[in-house]
Amino acid sequence: MIHAPHKLLAALFAVALSASLAPASSPVLGSVTPRGGQRGVDNVILFNGARLTDAVEILTYSPGFTVAKLEVVNDTQLKATVKIAADCRLGEHVFRVRTKTGVSEMRTFWVGNLPVVQEVEPNNDFAKPQPIPLNVTVHGVIDNEDVDYFVVECKKGQRLSAEIEGMRLGNTLFDPYIAILDSKRFELAASDDSPLLGQDGMVSIVVPADGKYVIQVRESAFGGNGGCAYRLHVGTFPRPLAVVPAGGKFGEEVELTFLGDPAGPFKQKVKLPAGPVEKYGVYAQDAGGVAPSPIPFRLSEFGNVVETEGNISHATATPFELPSAVNGVVSKPGEVDHYRFKGKKGQTYEVHCYARRLGSPLDSVMTIGYLNGGALVSNDDAIGPDSYFRFTVPEDKEYVLTITDHLHKGGPTYFYRVEFTPIQAEAVVGIPKVAQYSQERQAIVVPRGNRFATLVQVGRRDFGGPLVLSAEKLPPGVTWTSENMPANLDTIPVVFEAAPTAPVGALVTSLTAGHVDPKLSPLKSRFYQMAELILAPPGQSLYWKAEASQAVVAVTEEVPFKITLVEPKVPLVQNGSMNLKVVVERQPGYKAAITILPLWNPPGVSSAQSATIPEGATETTLTLNAAGNAEVRKWKTAVIGVATVGNGPVHVSSQMATLEVAAPFFTFAMERAASEQGKDTEIFCKIQQVAPFPGSAKIRLMGLPTKATAAELEITKDTKDLAFKVVVDKTTPPGQHRNLFCQAVVMLNSEPVVYNVGAAELRVDVPLPPKVNAPVATPLPVVAKPADPVKPPEKRLTRLEKLRLEQEEREKAAKGDTTEPEKKK
Amino acid sequence: MRTHIASLVCLAVLAITSDARAQEPPASLAVFPPEVNLSTSRSRQVFVVQAVYPDGITRDVTAEAKAALVNPAFAKLDKNVLTPVADGATELKVEFGGKALNVPVKVKDATVERPISFKLDVMPIFLRSGCNQGGCHGAARGKDGFRLSLFGFDADGDHFRLTREMNGRRINLALPRESLLLEKSQGKVPHTGGQKIKDGDEYSQNILRWLDAGAPLDPPTVAKPVALELYPKNAVLDGKGAAQQMVVRARYSDGTDRDVTALALFLSNNDTSAKISPAGVVTAGDRGEAFVMARFATFTVGSQVIVLPKGLQFTFPPVEERNYIDTLVNAKLKKLRIEPSGLCNDETFLRRVHLDVIGVLPTVEEYQRFMTNAAPNKRELLVDDLLGRKEFAELWVMKWAELLQIRSSNQVSYKATLLYYNWLQDKIARNAPVNEWVQELLGATGGTFKNPATNYYQNETDVLKVSENVAQVFMGMRIQCSQCHNHPFDRWTQDDYYSFAAFFAQIGRKGTDDPRETIVFNSGGGEVTHPLRGVVMKPKFLGGDTPDVAGKDRRVVMAQWLASADNPYFATNLANIVWAHFFGIGIIDQVDDVRISNPASNPELLAEMGKRFTSYKYDFKKLVRDICLSRTYQAATQANPSNEGDTRNFARAGLRRIKAETFLDCISQVTETKNKFPGLPQGARAVQIADGGVSTYFLTTFGRATRETVCSCEVKLEPTLSQSLHLLNGETTTQRIASGNLLGRRLADKATPEQVIEELYVRCLSRKPTPKEMSKLSAAVAAEPDKNKALGDLFWALLNSREFMFNH
Repeated sequence: MIHAPHKLLAALFAVALSASLAPASSPVLGSVTPRGGQRGVDNVILFNGARLTDAVEILTYSPGFTVAKLEVVNDTQLKATVKIAADCRLGEHVFRVRTKTGVSEMRTFWVGNLPVVQEVEPNNDFAKPQPIPLNVTVHGVIDNEDVDYFVVECKKGQRLSAEIEGMRLGNTLFDPYIAILDSKRFELAASDDSPLLGQDGMVSIVVPADGKYVIQVRESAFGGNGGCAYRLHVGTFPRPLAVVPAGGKFGEEVELTFLGDPAGPFKQKVKLPAGPVEKYGVYAQDAGGVAPSPIPFRLSEFGNVVETEGNISHATATPFELPSAVNGVVSKPGEVDHYRFKGKKGQTYEVHCYARRLGSPLDSVMTIGYLNGGALVSNDDAIGPDSYFRFTVPEDKEYVLTITDHLHKGGPTYFYRVEFTPIQAEAVVGIPKVAQYSQERQAIVVPRGNRFATLVQVGRRDFGGPLVLSAEKLPPGVTWTSENMPANLDTIPVVFEAAPTAPVGALVTSLTAGHVDPKLSPLKSRFYQMAELILAPPGQSLYWKAEASQAVVAVTEEVPFKITLVEPKVPLVQNGSMNLKVVVERQPGYKAAITILPLWNPPGVSSAQSATIPEGATETTLTLNAAGNAEVRKWKTAVIGVATVGNGPVHVSSQMATLEVAAPFFTFAMERAASEQGKDTEIFCKIQQVAPFPGSAKIRLMGLPTKATAAELEITKDTKDLAFKVVVDKTTPPGQHRNLFCQAVVMLNSEPVVYNVGAAELRVDVPLPPKVNAPVATPLPVVAKPADPVKPPEKRLTRLEKLRLEQEEREKAAKGDTTEPEKKK
Repeated sequence: MRTHIASLVCLAVLAITSDARAQEPPASLAVFPPEVNLSTSRSRQVFVVQAVYPDGITRDVTAEAKAALVNPAFAKLDKNVLTPVADGATELKVEFGGKALNVPVKVKDATVERPISFKLDVMPIFLRSGCNQGGCHGAARGKDGFRLSLFGFDADGDHFRLTREMNGRRINLALPRESLLLEKSQGKVPHTGGQKIKDGDEYSQNILRWLDAGAPLDPPTVAKPVALELYPKNAVLDGKGAAQQMVVRARYSDGTDRDVTALALFLSNNDTSAKISPAGVVTAGDRGEAFVMARFATFTVGSQVIVLPKGLQFTFPPVEERNYIDTLVNAKLKKLRIEPSGLCNDETFLRRVHLDVIGVLPTVEEYQRFMTNAAPNKRELLVDDLLGRKEFAELWVMKWAELLQIRSSNQVSYKATLLYYNWLQDKIARNAPVNEWVQELLGATGGTFKNPATNYYQNETDVLKVSENVAQVFMGMRIQCSQCHNHPFDRWTQDDYYSFAAFFAQIGRKGTDDPRETIVFNSGGGEVTHPLRGVVMKPKFLGGDTPDVAGKDRRVVMAQWLASADNPYFATNLANIVWAHFFGIGIIDQVDDVRISNPASNPELLAEMGKRFTSYKYDFKKLVRDICLSRTYQAATQANPSNEGDTRNFARAGLRRIKAETFLDCISQVTETKNKFPGLPQGARAVQIADGGVSTYFLTTFGRATRETVCSCEVKLEPTLSQSLHLLNGETTTQRIASGNLLGRRLADKATPEQVIEELYVRCLSRKPTPKEMSKLSAAVAAEPDKNKALGDLFWALLNSREFMFNH
């Protein structure tokens, strides 16, 4: 169902690499100039960035490009001569630059149908516009408050259209405004934004008289800067704004009606592709040429109905059958289009109104209700301004679907398409971003004889359960390791490994996910990757992005280090910690420091942000901590190593290693204790043994206040309780010390298992000052003495019992004050 | 010695005139109230007799007039107080100075006792005695542990606080005289506010009666005050010390009326001229005009009092009246015995009208053309010419942009700001009827880019603030006070406030394709709840009806009323805004502070302008034309002895500092230099700046509105030290003179110093130098070998002169 990935390797002309240039890595691609070119001819394109010295390929995601010549101008610039096929799809194409040591970010390039001419300044004066022939694409720039004027010669009755690519070029926040003016400066057509092209505009007129016509280009708020490049298509091409129907069945030939062209509606037959095509659109075409950009078009496996005229009530509703799609136009302000269908109880459909997503000005409001009855479900905005809901048929009856505009607008180009489709489970696979708004590590780049690790994320829609990942294809010599994705997770680590003999190269491939259970029906799955190209206020709003439906997997040249994760022989216990050991194997002479980054932590496990293997050293440890509720099971994970090779960073990974998270061997129930400064006390623990362990475990009381100490104790698998003698100094700060706990160290396979257990509090009081006027001060010690001999059955008293005892004694003493002294004396 | 004699002579003259007045028969006689209605046994009515003399002077002759009841069986007359005796009707006969007048007197329920009422009898005492003022118990947290609602907006709440909040403390029903309420107010126990009422007076008795009755809360059927009358409506007092008693009468919902002179609170807006005592006696002070007001319940009403010097002899000179403006201004001046200043000369008019209508100075060529034009109607032709220029629209777009707060912010992008500004500019440039575009603005729906008028609801998204802004900008009303309590100096209650806010409760906002754009629409849901009573308020026009809004966009309904003749404030408010632009002071001043206690200085003029504006179909240019062609606008600034103290009656033109933007444009114009503002091309004028957030040091220093609020006070015209220092030393003068290089070019063209001096004068001041100025200046320039420097100094001095800085 996904369009067969097509990759076109650039013809690898010998790239003369000067020996003086240092080996580069991690290429960076900034701007691409010009921003587009004409199909059917050779285009010279400059790629500007950094670390491009060892560039070998322009890696495209779509067909139609042949790199005839690739020259490295310097480390920051490449010059490519690219032949664009005559049948190359018009519009935006995504690509990357591959070097021997890395793969760049995604960038875009625009393909047009018309020959390119350059803007020539000064053209800022309406009286002195730049003359251009008809049917060209002007490459220009709008500087601050710049206004560009171009003049064309037209004949009466001819169509004159202009369309601009500004924001869509993905350079910077550039909101262009275009207009066609006559020689007397009257605006015949103007466009700032358009539903079809977003911030980019388009204008089209039928020329009223022979003469000169001026096309004006500016930023809509008189802004602009050197980055505001544009491609202005000027010609006689059709520029319709709507198409009906706005979708069709795979493989069929359909007759489309294009609306909104100044020359009037016209029909065109189109043979639709047999299977799904990403971002499919239809290009209006007639004797005047072909529209520079398409109208997005829905491809479907179901049939199509176009509205009948006057379907503005339940009685006149256009009938259709489920599942299929209806197509129409809200042609007048306030018009409500009606469609009727029979529903079978219990059937559920996804109901999507495609309007703004197809470039229609309609801000849809969609409802379904009983025929001649009230509405059951309605929606205004769900996906942008488009309406969507899921409809479960409540009973076997006839229903009516209505479509109108939220602001009661309407017009000949307010087209829409409503699709009813059965619910279909879908898994969308992607590589999560390492950093927000960044393209870092979004491509899989594996050095020969080394490894590369990434996380893979799967968005599950309308299904659950564990998943298995698969790659459509991988470069020769590349293998990958990954566990199945458990049902409760949506992200897992994957390690790619390239054999030492794997050839340096790259391909684009689809990564997909499927059910682990082979008995389940195959899952619809696709790969999706997005790069934010224009972010601007308000907030970090996304204005333009580059998208890809395939991942890039590349093999690059060897790097002089390889890291290994020393698999721990003991588990990471809940509430425990562990030092993961990472060792590096360096090639002779390679001494750089290596930063170790965790790739992924299992649920409930956290880790240090990073660890460093110092220059020349061979190992380090990365600390892991498990929460008390960390899921108990064996996980697979890896760590990433990053170091500078040449003049840029290189990322490699360790092998996939097992990390076990286990329950603790024993737990403690600890009692609270209280004491006075300078007075010792005890803290008691009742031990609950969970799993036997060999030998003895060391238990240390942690979290004591300063100047309070307790000796380390040992327990075995049979110990039931434990008492720490706490020595409280006279200077120990008074107060409630709440964070006392025990650290247990159990030795297993000669490795320590360290974890925290129990929780207690220690209250330290300031001793009461001796009473100034204490008549009973002397008799009391006398009272205490006779009690001494009664000690032998030393029962350990809890704090509460102690307090009770103390209280009893006080009460006794108080009584003794009045009555008992007689007896005692 | 001589002075002493002179003053004695004066005194004698005064005595004679005063006596003469007493003996002179009045032109007419009036008794207030014009009819007396007494109902229930405690009812009473005070009346006053006012004599009007042929010269307009009025006198309170109540004490001197003879009054008698035609049939004393029904009512009793004691001095000037009438009380009921028996049911029936009779007449009060009043005679003075040979004039007589009969006033109908009706008596009803003469023996019926009206039950004591908390709201009608007790609450007014709190207002009158100042108990519920903001500084006392009316403060938000009360005072000394006891709170009353501010100016009594919440009588039920006050009853609760008196009777229930502290059980058995504030009132004592067993021993009413020992209630803290009485003891405190009578000063019998320590009271921070001191003694407010006296034991045994009318107020104490009423409170006591209420306590004796068991401190009841009124039944819901109790009559409500529906109107308030203050008599006499106007008075012209002759000299310091003249007095006039005022009478206040309240009308109730059950059709009765009541003399509330003793319960009303009296205020004067000009104590120097006319002070009013708590008992309602106006005493004349210095010459001037005052508006004395009485406040009772939620009403404030006022009367006009003019105070003239004793025995003033005045004849109004024949003054040309070019249109209704002159007629109405002169009518007021006649009343005040003020003579208008003469007509300004052509040079002054040329400069004044250029600055006011198009915000630029006349060029040298325009000056020559106008000055040499011999047409008798050349001023009219000039006004028509200026009204057709694009600068006129730009100046008014700026003015409106201030009121509509056109400004970029985190919520409103610069693009939206620019589109909004251009939308407004288009409306004004095409002279679209103001009511139409205001309706379009206030009822706007759609995206802030696609329909820029919707930005009005994006600049301010708070429902209450939007309603306050609409009232302030389009009706001139500041209703903010009534958000929390009834407006202390106006008629607006909390009900009015929240009912008006209900029009803006259903504004929906949602995002769209462009993150900078918002769609504003009618969401059809959402209400405003009265904070005190917790009820949902129905949308009600401010001071108008409760329209049917079911199924409609409330804002559209509101906008259609607001910008129409149905709204009595719309046209007059716009007329006032326009007037204030041309005179520097509104007929109501400030223009956005329309309230009963801030009356128009010439209500007839304002009403007529509003009427004309409506009949012109809100054609803004016609209104401007009327003003500019009036003799009043073309008066000179020079005062004459009779109008030198007057600032509010347009007897002479005012001196007005030029607004920041226009001033900068003038400097750019005379120095031939260009401005560069962010978001505008090189050479743009300051009035063209679309975004209130954009400013320069110069504009900020000279008081450019930041457009953060709708207040007309944002534009600052007060002089500051930094303004002077900036003009003396800053880049705006010296550097512009240098970079414009006007002098260099003129000297290169072989112009003589005299020619350059003359041009500079005409450029900057729209006049030629006087012979004295010319002779001194040419001598000074001749003495300086560097002509460019000497002339540069002159140029600098002209730019720093007050004559340049002010429109006069």
